[in-house]
Amino acid sequence: MNFDLSDDQRTIKSTARELLSARYPLAEVRRLALDDERGFTDAQWSEMVALGWPEIAEIGTVEMIVVAEELGYALAPTPLQSTWAAGLLGADVGDGRRGAVVTDGLSADAGTADVLVDWDGSVVTGASVEPVRALDPTRRLFRVSGGEREPPSGDVDLERARGQAATMNAAESVGVAERAMEMAVAYAKERRQFDRPIGAYQAVSHACAQMLLEVEGARAAVYWAAWALDFEPETAPLAVACAKAYAGDAGRRVPRASLQVHGGIGFTWEHDLHFFLKRGEANAHAYGEGTAHRERIAALAGL
Amino acid sequence: MDLTLSPAEREFRDAVRGWIEANHPGREPDGDRDVFEFRRAWQRALNERGWAGLSWPTEYGGAGATLVELAIFYEETARAGAPQMANVLGLAMGGPTVIAHGTEEQKQRFLPPILSADEIWCQGFSEPGSGSDLASLKTRAVRDGDDWVVTGQKVWTTYAHEAKWCMLVARTNPDAPKHRGLTYFLMDMEQDAVDVRPLVQITGEAEFNELFIDEARIPHENIVGGEGNGWPVAITTLMHERAGLAFALQVQVQIALRELQDQIREAGAAGDPLVRQRFAQVFAEAQVLRLNAYRGLTATMKRGAPGPEGSLGKWHWAEVNQSLTELAMDVAGPRALLADDAWTYRFLRARANSIEGGTTEILRNIVAERVLGLPRGA
Repeated sequence: MNFDLSDDQRTIKSTARELLSARYPLAEVRRLALDDERGFTDAQWSEMVALGWPEIAEIGTVEMIVVAEELGYALAPTPLQSTWAAGLLGADVGDGRRGAVVTDGLSADAGTADVLVDWDGSVVTGASVEPVRALDPTRRLFRVSGGEREPPSGDVDLERARGQAATMNAAESVGVAERAMEMAVAYAKERRQFDRPIGAYQAVSHACAQMLLEVEGARAAVYWAAWALDFEPETAPLAVACAKAYAGDAGRRVPRASLQVHGGIGFTWEHDLHFFLKRGEANAHAYGEGTAHRERIAALAGL
Repeated sequence: MDLTLSPAEREFRDAVRGWIEANHPGREPDGDRDVFEFRRAWQRALNERGWAGLSWPTEYGGAGATLVELAIFYEETARAGAPQMANVLGLAMGGPTVIAHGTEEQKQRFLPPILSADEIWCQGFSEPGSGSDLASLKTRAVRDGDDWVVTGQKVWTTYAHEAKWCMLVARTNPDAPKHRGLTYFLMDMEQDAVDVRPLVQITGEAEFNELFIDEARIPHENIVGGEGNGWPVAITTLMHERAGLAFALQVQVQIALRELQDQIREAGAAGDPLVRQRFAQVFAEAQVLRLNAYRGLTATMKRGAPGPEGSLGKWHWAEVNQSLTELAMDVAGPRALLADDAWTYRFLRARANSIEGGTTEILRNIVAERVLGLPRGA
C-alpha cells in the first residue's frame, strides 16, 4: 500500500510542470485564447508529439492524469486532451495526428483534428464542422453535423475508454482548481484592507482552507480512479464516477470562490482568473455531467 | 502508487480477520458500566495477542506494526463489528504522547497498563473558559516540594469516571506568555481532591464529565516533556487524536453508509432522484475521506509524525458524518420523531462532531495558517 506517486511518475510531473510553465506563461495562454486563430501553434504541438505525450496512456492511466493535471494547472491551450480522448475511444491518432470527440453535436478541437470520433465510439467522416463561440476561450469549440458514421470495431473496451477520458478531464480540473486556489492564497496575503492582509480575516482564510479541502479531495479521487482503471477494473466504474463528480465540482467551485476572494479585480477581463473559472465550468459539463455521474454512483453502490 | 496490499499486508489482514472471527465476543450489552467492562475484556484479549498497541514499539508491549497494518486492523475490526477497546484515549493519545516526549522511566511505568486496560486514561484539556483558545486555560499548578498542587476545573473529560490517569495541562508560570506557561502532567484520578461529575449531553447520555480539582497533588516526576513545555506536548496529543482517531472514524463512516442505504430502502426513497443525488454525494465524500486517510498514512510513514493536514481529515469527517445522519433523518419520515430510533441518536450525536477534538473553525485556522501560510487572524 503506497498512496503516492512513484519516482518515475514524479519525474513526469515535474518535467511537465517545468516545460508547461516555460511554454505557457499566462500572457501566452491569453494570446492563444484570444488572438490566435487555431488556439495553439505547430511548434507547441510538435514539441508535445516529440515528448511522446499523445501516447502517454500506453504507459499507464496514472501517467496520463499526471500530465493532464499539469495541463490544467498551466491552463495550456492544446488539442492534446481531445487527442487523448479520441485515441482512447479507438481513433487513429498516431504519428502526431490530432483527434477530437463529438458529444451531442458539439466537439472541442474538431476544427483542427485529423480524425473525429463520437462518444459512442463510431468514427465520424465527412461532417460539417462549424466554429461556435465557446464559454471557455482556451479550448476551441465546434458544432458538428451530418457526415458518415462508422460503427466501432469492437476492439476497444468503450466503457473503460470513457472512464479514462472522464478521469483525464477530472484530473485537468484538479490542476485548474489548484492554480485558482494558489492565486487566491497569494492575493489574500498581498491585498490589504482595513490595514491588514485580507487573508487575516477568517471569512477569507476559511474560504481558502475550503479550497484546499476540495483540491486535495478531488486529487485523491482522481488518483484512485486512474489507478483502479489499470489495476482494479472491478472498482473502476465507481471510482471514475466519484472522481468525475467530485473533481468536476471542485474544478468550478474553487475558481468561483477564488474570484470572490479577489473581489472586483477578479471580475475584470484583464485578470487571468476568468480563464480558469471558464475552463473549470466547461470541464464539469464534459464527459458526463456531475448529476449523471452521481446517479451512476447510487446505482453502482446498489441503491 | 499502489493501492493494493502487499503479500505481507494481505497475510496480516487474513490473520486479523481470522482471529477476530474466532474471538468475536458478540453484541455489546446495554448499560454504560457493562459496556465498559465488555470493552475492557476485549482489549485484554487483543493485548494477549499483542495487538492492543499494534503500532507501538515492541519494547513497550507493542507489535511495532506499520501504519498500514494499523489501518488494516481498524478496517477489519470495523468490518466485523467488533467492539472498541476500552482505553481508547490512552491508546490513541496518551501512549503516543508518552512515547514521543516521556522519559524512559515514564515509558516503563505508564505504557504497559494502558495496553492491559488496567489503568484507563482521560484527557483534561478543555475548561469552561478555554475551549478553542486552549492556551488560555486557568487551572493552576504550584510547586510544593517534590509535588505540584493543582486547582481548577476541566470539562468534556471523556471516561473520567473510569480513569486512573488524566493527561492534564495546567498553568505553572502565570507570568510567562500564555503558550509558554503551561506544563503537561499525568494526574492520578484516585484522590479526594478530584471530583468527577457526569455532564449530560443533548442525547441524554453522559459520555463526558466535568472535573473539579481542589488542591490535587501530582509528583514532579509525572511531568511529561518538561516544565513549561506543555503546549508542544499537548499539540502532539491533539495531532495523534486527529490523525489516529480520524482513521478509525472514517471506517465507521463506511459502515454507516451501508446502513444509510438500508434506511433509504426501508423508507421507500430509493427511487427518489433527489435522495439518490444526495446519497451519491455523501458516498463520494466518504470515499474521499477514506482515500485521504490512506494518503495521510503514506505521508506520516515517510515523515515520521502526523502533520497539520490531519486537521483537514478531522474537519472533513465531521462534515461527512453530519450530512450522512441528516440524510438519514430526512428520509426517515415519522420515525424521525422517535427519540429511541437509532438514527435519531446518531443525528444528535453527530452535532458534536464539528466541536469535539478541535472545532471546525479552529481546524480551518490551522489549515489556513500552517498549510497555506496565510497570516494569523486578528
